[in-house]
Amino acid sequence: MSPNTHLLTDLEVARFIVNGYHMVELDLPDGVHEHIAEQLDALTSNPGDGITDTVPELRQVLEANAVTGALTSLLGAEYTVGPHRHWHCKEPHTGTLHWHQDATNNRDSRIVRCLGLYYPRTVTPDMGPTMIVPGTHFRNAPTDRMATYTNIRGQIPLAVKAGTIAFTHFDLWHGTAANRSNIKRHMVKFSFSRSKDNTSPTWNHDPANLNDHRNWNLREKAATVGDILTFANPLGVSQSDHYKERAIRNQCWNDLMGSSIPTPLD
Amino acid sequence: MPSNVPHRQRLLYLHATTPNVFSKILAYNLIEPVTGFRTEIKAETPDWPYDTVHDAVVDGWQVIQFPHSQAPFDDKDLDVIGYEFILQKIEIIQ
Repeated sequence: MSPNTHLLTDLEVARFIVNGYHMVELDLPDGVHEHIAEQLDALTSNPGDGITDTVPELRQVLEANAVTGALTSLLGAEYTVGPHRHWHCKEPHTGTLHWHQDATNNRDSRIVRCLGLYYPRTVTPDMGPTMIVPGTHFRNAPTDRMATYTNIRGQIPLAVKAGTIAFTHFDLWHGTAANRSNIKRHMVKFSFSRSKDNTSPTWNHDPANLNDHRNWNLREKAATVGDILTFANPLGVSQSDHYKERAIRNQCWNDLMGSSIPTPLD
Repeated sequence: MPSNVPHRQRLLYLHATTPNVFSKILAYNLIEPVTGFRTEIKAETPDWPYDTVHDAVVDGWQVIQFPHSQAPFDDKDLDVIGYEFILQKIEIIQ
């Protein structure tokens, strides 16, 4: 693996396993994000998978060290960039897009697919931000079964600074809020896949981080790998569901570590 | 209620942590019987009308469907969030 100073830490990987997303603010040359937004403003039709040909500066997003570092950490050094990408323009004065997944549900304890949601323009809560529900990515729930939900405790808007990319687990429940502003909210979606199972950690792993014992006093407030994987409950689900979440997270962590390495969980 | 006054069914979907009506609500969805009404995911922190199904019942909502706790069950996998209660209020809607 070539050195990448933007690999994720143990805590960031653990939080991704729990929450199903990770945000990165890209450090591209001055004006790049703004120029991309202006080009998207001017589009009169959606080029679909050809969006990176129409707006070539988007390739700088895919090539940024912070992007390759995060993807290497989550999907392995030989991750692939999918040919499908899409420009999502949330037009002014348009309503909610309800909870959904982008394809069939593929519940897997491994992390095999991620989306990259890139926002070239700052998104405020009134601009129709993407909405996500942290902690839903391991649920075997296709879109039809989300149809009677509207507001869910723990949902968050991706109200982000210009130049942010959010990496989300492919199965994370997502939708959009209404755009009540007069500004177009742009998002360009990319997809990424794992090509090989890990035989060792592909992030900035420190084995010492697995030596901490569970802190039952701090629980969710604690910031160790074991406590995050054990105690975090972003949805506030029941004990039964939470125990199942723990088991799936544990399996996911082991898969990422490489199967020969024991779990950090008690 | 006078029989000649039009009444309509308000619907409230509450997803609770457990099938117990005193358990905490994880999701809510209020549907008003008004033409053109659409539900909306809120970017701002939404106002939670009730903390539990029991709170809603105290406020006059009637449960018309309880969660099916005897549905096929998997003790290793996860599916939807919480347990779905459907409630109604029959009211005059101006």
